[in-house]
Amino acid sequence: MGEMEQLRKEAESLKDEITAARKAVQDLTLQDHVAGTAVVGRVQLKTRKTLRGHLSKIYAVHWGDSKLCVSASQDGKLIVWDSYTTNKVHAIPLKSSWVMTCAYAPSGNMVACGGLDNMCSIYNLKGKDGNVKVMRELAAHTGYLSCCRFLNDNEIITSSGDCTCVLWDIETGSQKTVFAGHLGDCMSLGVAPDFNTFISGACDFTAKLWDIRDGQCRQTFGGHESDINAIGFFPNGNAVITGSDDASCKLYDLRSDQELITYQDSGIMCGVTSLAPSFSGRLILAGYDDFNCNIWDSLKAERVGVLSGHDNRVSCIGVTPDGMACCTGSWDSFLKIWN
Amino acid sequence: MDELDETQLKNHVDSLKQQLQFNREKTSVSIPELIKWIEEKMNEDPFLNPDILKENPWVESSKCVIA
Repeated sequence: MGEMEQLRKEAESLKDEITAARKAVQDLTLQDHVAGTAVVGRVQLKTRKTLRGHLSKIYAVHWGDSKLCVSASQDGKLIVWDSYTTNKVHAIPLKSSWVMTCAYAPSGNMVACGGLDNMCSIYNLKGKDGNVKVMRELAAHTGYLSCCRFLNDNEIITSSGDCTCVLWDIETGSQKTVFAGHLGDCMSLGVAPDFNTFISGACDFTAKLWDIRDGQCRQTFGGHESDINAIGFFPNGNAVITGSDDASCKLYDLRSDQELITYQDSGIMCGVTSLAPSFSGRLILAGYDDFNCNIWDSLKAERVGVLSGHDNRVSCIGVTPDGMACCTGSWDSFLKIWN
Repeated sequence: MDELDETQLKNHVDSLKQQLQFNREKTSVSIPELIKWIEEKMNEDPFLNPDILKENPWVESSKCVIA
């Protein structure tokens, strides 16, 4: 048997062992445990603000705190919004208009973006003369930048169409760690609430949990039947939610290393583009290609609400850190604040 | 997996070996704890507890007054 054939057989055998190990700890299902729990009542969120100003499709939005958010559009602009007043705090022109992602640093001092230029550009919002300038261009990916998230003012994690994720040192512009293992474009990433791990969703239909410091993939979650476009941690850091082109979202439990439940409906036939849990995690808000956002009861897997109001695909969604509102961004060029 | 070269395939197998070692908790422990966490937080969830949104920063609470 050739070396390659032997390795392939070994891989298949290990996957079977992992499946068996997961089954061995499955002595209760989520459905069993919540059989007696009532579905939450209908959730009706209203549009409180519409943020107007982008001239083209919005691809990403990220909250900095519970008031300010940054959005990225293929009109070639990053806009930082005061969501209470709808004022534009900053309107940052980009070198490349093919932007696919943006992020706000937890400190509020910086924002980042990237896309088909294969780079992650970091902007300093608190420069001495008040002008927002490019602080660093992180270049090394050989594919598009699909997502980026700051750990702090000096470290950022990126995911790319080149199938890898990278942890960067912003000061030196160098790659500290490359997270390789996905067999398809990485589409989305999320950082754990304790900043020790992150998760990535990819076009190989899997989600991976990575240890930020040692670079190892700790867990891989399958089950989706198409690309994973969106991923997020559950607020307590012990579960992961994914959204896919297969029209479903899934909840994976990190501690038992397995899928707990799927959020799908025979009436939904289009891909999930984005998702975010509510403050308690009891609700999951998911944006879809059919211009709507569905609100799911995460424990009972039933739809309990819908956000309708956009005239095109909902491409991005985010809930404020204090859970008080969510923001949706759309290809119709508007952002809406709901609660 | 067919597109991987020998080194990549070796890395893939090594990664699977590591992932197999993960210390899995029983779902009869992890699920109730997850649900308990959620249910405790629901009271503080503005989308589920309408009292929290009585002070809503995105809604003007009073009419504009020209002084």
